[in-house]
Amino acid sequence: MSSVLRILLRRLGISVIVLIGVSMLIFAIARVIPGDPARIALGPNASAEQVANLRAEMHLDESIFAQYGYFVSDVLRGDLGQSLYTNRPVTTDIVQFLPATLELVIFAGILMVGLGLPLGILAARHRGRWPDHVIRVLTLLTVSAPSFVWAVILMLLFAFYLPLFPVAGRLGDSFDIATVTGFLTIDTLIAGNFSAFLDALSHLVLPSVALSLSGIGQAARLTRANMIETYDKPYIEMAQAFGFFPSRIAKRYAFKPSMIPSLTIIGLDFAAMLGNAFLVEAVFAWPGLSRYGVAVILRKDLNAIMGTVLIIALTFLVVNILVDLLIAFLNPRIRHSTRASS
Amino acid sequence: MSTLLDIQDLRLSFKGLRGITDVLHGISLSIAAGERVALVGESGSGKSVIARIVLGLLQETRSARVSGKVGFDGAEINTMRPRDRAKLRGTEMSMIFQDPTSSLNPTFTIGNQFAEVMRRRDPKLSRAACDARAIEMLTEVSIPNPDRILENYPFQLSGGMNQRVMIAMALVNHPKLLLADEPGTALDVSVQAQTLRLMHDLVEKHGTAVLFISHNLGVVREFADRVYVIYRGNIVEEGPTASVFHNPGHAYTRALMDAVPRITGAGLPEVPEVSDAFLAPMVRHDRGAA
Amino acid sequence: MTRALRIIASNPLSLVGLILVLMIVLAATFAPWIAPFPTHNSAVIDFAFANSAPSSRNWMGTDLVGRDIFSRILYAFRISLVLGVVVLIIATPIGTIVGLLAGYLGGWTEAVLMRIVDVFLSIPPLVLAIAVLGVLEPTLTNAMIAVTVMWWPWYARLVYSIARSEREEGYVLAAEVIGASTTHITLREILPNCLPAIITKMTLDMGFVIIIASSLSFLGLGVQPPTPDLGSMVAEGARYLPDSWWMTVFPGLAILLAVFGFNLLGDGLREVLGAEE
Repeated sequence: MSSVLRILLRRLGISVIVLIGVSMLIFAIARVIPGDPARIALGPNASAEQVANLRAEMHLDESIFAQYGYFVSDVLRGDLGQSLYTNRPVTTDIVQFLPATLELVIFAGILMVGLGLPLGILAARHRGRWPDHVIRVLTLLTVSAPSFVWAVILMLLFAFYLPLFPVAGRLGDSFDIATVTGFLTIDTLIAGNFSAFLDALSHLVLPSVALSLSGIGQAARLTRANMIETYDKPYIEMAQAFGFFPSRIAKRYAFKPSMIPSLTIIGLDFAAMLGNAFLVEAVFAWPGLSRYGVAVILRKDLNAIMGTVLIIALTFLVVNILVDLLIAFLNPRIRHSTRASS
Repeated sequence: MSTLLDIQDLRLSFKGLRGITDVLHGISLSIAAGERVALVGESGSGKSVIARIVLGLLQETRSARVSGKVGFDGAEINTMRPRDRAKLRGTEMSMIFQDPTSSLNPTFTIGNQFAEVMRRRDPKLSRAACDARAIEMLTEVSIPNPDRILENYPFQLSGGMNQRVMIAMALVNHPKLLLADEPGTALDVSVQAQTLRLMHDLVEKHGTAVLFISHNLGVVREFADRVYVIYRGNIVEEGPTASVFHNPGHAYTRALMDAVPRITGAGLPEVPEVSDAFLAPMVRHDRGAA
Repeated sequence: MTRALRIIASNPLSLVGLILVLMIVLAATFAPWIAPFPTHNSAVIDFAFANSAPSSRNWMGTDLVGRDIFSRILYAFRISLVLGVVVLIIATPIGTIVGLLAGYLGGWTEAVLMRIVDVFLSIPPLVLAIAVLGVLEPTLTNAMIAVTVMWWPWYARLVYSIARSEREEGYVLAAEVIGASTTHITLREILPNCLPAIITKMTLDMGFVIIIASSLSFLGLGVQPPTPDLGSMVAEGARYLPDSWWMTVFPGLAILLAVFGFNLLGDGLREVLGAEE
């Protein structure tokens, strides 16, 4: 197990470097902004004196390196600045809005893995026959539209024409649930309100399906491709020569080795959903971080933009580290290597 | 001795993008119980597909067309249901492959793979019983510290070690027939010779019949009781090993024997690609077991 | 080339893809002549026919101010295709050169370049584009810049992985032995081996760029009205669901159709060129 620990440490090291890079990138993007940030913050009616005061307060008069230094030390203290949009600390906003987005993305991720992998396995096992063709066309269709198109279509079909699910929001107005974790499916259970839990679930269905559809397609296509590659390996022929049934070969022999290369990409797809949540949240009026992000971008609320991007990048890095650990756990070659080589 | 494997007039063709390609043109071959038979030919001669047909694997692909008789232990492989064929594999017949390291599953331990194979015959076998039996088999193929090996993954062992593991695994269920497709070609020559000698002793001890597929006449000479020579999908010569080697009847067999590199270093001989003598069969197909 | 065409034509799905792509390219090119209402690509107002359902006059209905949705979709294809082509033409060479240098040279070049690539890849693609557009003005040019910024690292990673494995191949060593320059080895020896994968990825990416670009304009960060864009048309119509369903459904299906075409074609190309993803 010590080699897994070594992989974790190495990954954390790389992540720190990447995070520093991300902070520089975000800082650079923020400096590209045309116009004077202080002037934008105060609006056109502020006096020149007010602007000058704010410039000094925001360290805008100092060198770019000093400004970056202030930025980093603020971030490390958990201070992402004040949002001009909500007039609250950006950290407070993120704490309020992030759980809704995470809940949505996690549900979509479960759908992606839970449906994408079995479809891919099914297609690979029936390579060249009709189930393969049907799955190929279906998955190609699901990856061929942005999630907001699926969101609109699903909403039209299953919220308006067939009113099975609610149109928007996270929870019906009649429920009043105390916020503990921010995850409504958990908070409703903590409150012991089962009908609220079911309501929260039914609100999750359409957004998470819309968000996961292209991920399901990607995961299925990837799994199929890697399974087929694995099926050409000598150890699969050996398993066949030893008379194992096709379903057992698929499950025991082909699935695990072919999952190892798939996982990295599935991790990336999961991260892509953090971005696509921007689109789905807009359609379903989901009160999450992405909706907040769009709102602050349209208002050129610099601190909030930087904070949002930073927190999403951080979430992404955490997901990637988890995926790497899972790969190390699945792949004995990494788990048992004496040196932690990539 | 009774006939274990009886192949009569076996034909195979593949349906591809460019029409139908014939691979085997009516092969007949038989192996008695406990007999070691070699099938020799150059690559592309169709020797490897025969093993896949005996196992019933090629019959299950859609592009292959197989006709003729493949009798195994009184049953007919070609007309069997796929499920019944699968029951024979790994229990009554098993196979060892060219490259041992890539033929073992990289994500399971050796012990795990042994247990999988043993449970083919007896699904209720406990893991402890499997391990005990696996250790017994690994000892038979002269692997030191077999109990430690069971916890290893294939990539942690050398090629020669994996080759022995594969032989042990192929014989653990006491199959009647062992198919060996160019075993150990991926290994270096001295390791290969060593493991083949081991395999020879082992099958003799267990009374396992072997179909040994190879392009290497030197190896065949030491291993087999009887030899079939295959060329372009036809058996061109057949007989007891000693007589084929002393008195090769067919032009192709002579060319093949000249192709064995010798220490005198005469180089590779010119092989006439197509001549009348090449295409003339000289095998009597009505021949039964030796 | 003829062989490639024959293989694509022999696979019905790829053929459908090829036909779809050709139709969309033709429709976009000749939009001013095909569109029933060629003037509706601008701020025209025709209240007499405002918000009308699909009919023989307006096959896909009209929007709130009476503009023909079908005509606007044809014009929107132009924007999508131009954006896709420009982004790929800029992003591909940048990514390819970075990937080739990192993959072939190794050492510090590899470490520095690939960490930079990692930084870009560690922000979800759409988020990066949104952040870039967040500080720039939402125009077509800036949308292209934003998408290009997020796109090149993917090519860098693809080419890098190929170049790194080719670095050890015999023909590269042979070229090194006779003293070929880095430029020669990377561009003349290694690059040709990356081309099948690059071309396949470009075809598939045409579809993805269309998706990303329409996503940006859906959020109001891309092409601005009154210029027709598929994403902003869906966003505009979504406010009038479910009654005026045609305002969202047809532009949405147009995106689906275009991307589906490029994906089918890319899939077929992958088989022809034998490229890995």
